[in-house]
Amino acid sequence: MATATTVPSTADKIVPVTDSLVSATNVVKRYGTFTALSDVSFEIRHGITGLLGANGAGKTTMLGMIIGLHEVDSGSLRVLGSDPWNAGVAVRERLGYSPEHHTLPGDLQANDFVRHIAELHGLPKAEAATRASDALWLCGLGEERFRPMGTMSTGQRQRVKLAQAIAHDPEMVLLDEPTDGLDPLQRDSMLDLIRHIATEFGIDVILSSHLLDEVERVCDAAVIIGEGRTVAAGTLDELRGTGTIGVVVELDADPTQISSVVERLRSSGAQVNVDGRRLVVEGDDDSVFDLARDACAATGVGIARLSRKRLSLEDVFIESLG
Amino acid sequence: MANVPGAVPPNSAQIFDQGYRRYDGPRTGFRGSMRTMVTHSLRHALGLGRSARFKIIPAAVVIFAYLPAAAFIGMAALLPEDLAAEGLLPTYAGYYSYIVGAIYLFAGFVAPLLLCTDRRTGLLGVYLASPLNRPSYLLGKALATLILLLLVTLGPPLLMLIAFTLESTGPDGFVEWIEVFAKIVLSSLVMGAMFAVVAMAVSAATDRWVVATAAVILIMPGSAIVTDVLVNEADLNSALRLFNIPNLPRELIFRIHGEATGGASLWRPQENSTWTLWAAWFGYIATGVGFIWARYRKLLVRR
Repeated sequence: MATATTVPSTADKIVPVTDSLVSATNVVKRYGTFTALSDVSFEIRHGITGLLGANGAGKTTMLGMIIGLHEVDSGSLRVLGSDPWNAGVAVRERLGYSPEHHTLPGDLQANDFVRHIAELHGLPKAEAATRASDALWLCGLGEERFRPMGTMSTGQRQRVKLAQAIAHDPEMVLLDEPTDGLDPLQRDSMLDLIRHIATEFGIDVILSSHLLDEVERVCDAAVIIGEGRTVAAGTLDELRGTGTIGVVVELDADPTQISSVVERLRSSGAQVNVDGRRLVVEGDDDSVFDLARDACAATGVGIARLSRKRLSLEDVFIESLG
Repeated sequence: MANVPGAVPPNSAQIFDQGYRRYDGPRTGFRGSMRTMVTHSLRHALGLGRSARFKIIPAAVVIFAYLPAAAFIGMAALLPEDLAAEGLLPTYAGYYSYIVGAIYLFAGFVAPLLLCTDRRTGLLGVYLASPLNRPSYLLGKALATLILLLLVTLGPPLLMLIAFTLESTGPDGFVEWIEVFAKIVLSSLVMGAMFAVVAMAVSAATDRWVVATAAVILIMPGSAIVTDVLVNEADLNSALRLFNIPNLPRELIFRIHGEATGGASLWRPQENSTWTLWAAWFGYIATGVGFIWARYRKLLVRR
C-alpha cells in the first residue's frame, strides 16, 4: 500500500503528524456492471493532499465514499478513524465539503446559504451567523456576502463553496475541483486561499483536481488515481524522487548552430530532445553536464542556462499511467 | 511631542478584528441539523428571505384557503343563528370542498420546490455531506411539506372553530369542543399527509420541478374525473373510487366528523366501508413512502 507521509519542504508548510486521516485499503466501487474503482489503496495524513486523476478516473467517487455518500463494495475505508458509511453522522460533522458543480440556489444570498450549512453542521444560530460572515470575509466576499448567488461570477461562487465548507470549523475539508472555471489570476488567488486555510488554521485539505500544476503548487502530498486504481501516492518529494532525469540546456544560438550542437551530442551517444533553443539531454549523472558543456564549447555556442531537469508531477503522472 | 518613558504612546490604539478563527463551543448535534433543515425548507417554500416574486404563489394559496373561512365567519356573525343553522354555513368537513383545489395546488408547488430543487442544484450532495443522511433528509423534507400543508388544511377550519366559539355558534360544552378540535386536527392530518406523500412521490420521480408541479396538479383532478366516469357512467365497481386521490381523504374526513350519512358526504357509505377507506389511505401512504425511499436509496449523488 502506498503511503502519503507529509514532509514539509518550506517553512510555511504544515508540521507533519503521524495520524492517518484517511486510510483506504483495496477499495472497490461498482455501479451495476461498471467498476468505478477497482483497487484503491492509500493513506492520507495531515496537510494538503491532492487527489489527482484524469476526468472520469474516479476522484469524485472516492470523495463521495470518504464523505459516506457511497458504500464501499469491498476493501476497507477509514476516515478520521471511523467507517464513513456506518458512522456517517459522526464523520460528516467533522468534515467540510465543497462540491464540484456551480449550480447553487441562485436566489439565496451567499450569507444565508453559508449560515444555513454551518447550522446544519451543528453550530448554534448566533454562532453560525457570525462565522458565516467571517468565513465569507476570509474568502474575499465580505462586501458581496448579501448578494444572491445567482448574480455571482464563477469565481465568487467557488469562494462561497469554500466558505460554506469551512464555516463550521471542520477538521478536514474536501474540495472537488475548486479552481474549475476560474481564470489564471482567480486560480492563483484560490490556491493561495486554500494554502492559507491549511497553514493558518490547521484545517487538513483533500483537493481533488485534474490539474497537475496546481496540485504541485499547493499540496504536500498526492494520490494519483488512474483507471480506477491507485497508481502512485506519497509526498510530492517522494513522488518526484531526489534524482534528476537529465540536463536542460538553453542555447544562445541560431538554428544552424543548435543543429550542430545536437549532432555532436547525438554522435557522443546522448539522447537529446529539442524544443526550440532548449535542449533536454537525458541522463542522471554529472557526465551529462560535461557532455553538454563540451559540445557547446566545441561548436562555439553560448549557453544561456544549464540546469538539472527534475521529475515533475506531470512526468510522474504520465509515467504512472504508462 | 516627546515620548515619556512608561507612558502609553498616543497612537497605540488598535482594532483587533478576530475574523475567522477555530470554534470549540457547543454544537447542536443531529437535532439541530434537522431543525435547521426543516426551518430553512419552510422559509424557502414561503419565499421568506427571498425576493417578492417568490412570495406570490404561497401568499395567493394561503389567501384562497382562508378567504372562504373569513367569509363564513363574517356570515355567522351577521346572520341570525337560525339561518346559520339551516345549512348556509358549511360543516368542518364540508369546508374542504371550497379549498381542496388550493390545497393540491399548494402540494404541487411545495413538494417539487423542496425536493427537485435540491437534486437539480446539487444541494442534495451538500446536505448529505452534513450530519444528515438520506432517511433523515427525507424525514425533514416530509415534515416541512406536512407543516406547510397543515397551514392550509388545519388553519382555516381551526380559525372557524375559534371564531364560531367566540361568536357562541360553536360546539356546546368543553367536551364537545375538544372532540370537534380533535376531529379537525385528525382531518387535516389525513388530507395533509396524503397530499404530501403523493406530491413528494411525484417529485422524487423527476428532477424538473415544473414537470413535477404540473404532474401533481394534473394527477389530482385527473384521478377524480377518471374514477367518476368509470363508476358513475360506466357502472364499474365502486371500489375504483379508492383511486380518486383528492376525494379519498375528503370522504374520510366526512366519516371522521360523522357526516357520512344524510347526503353530506361524497360517496355512499355502503359503497366503501370506513375501514376500506382507511386501508386505502394507509396503502397510499405506504406505497408513496416506499417509492420515495426506493428512489433516494439508489439515487447516485455524484456531485
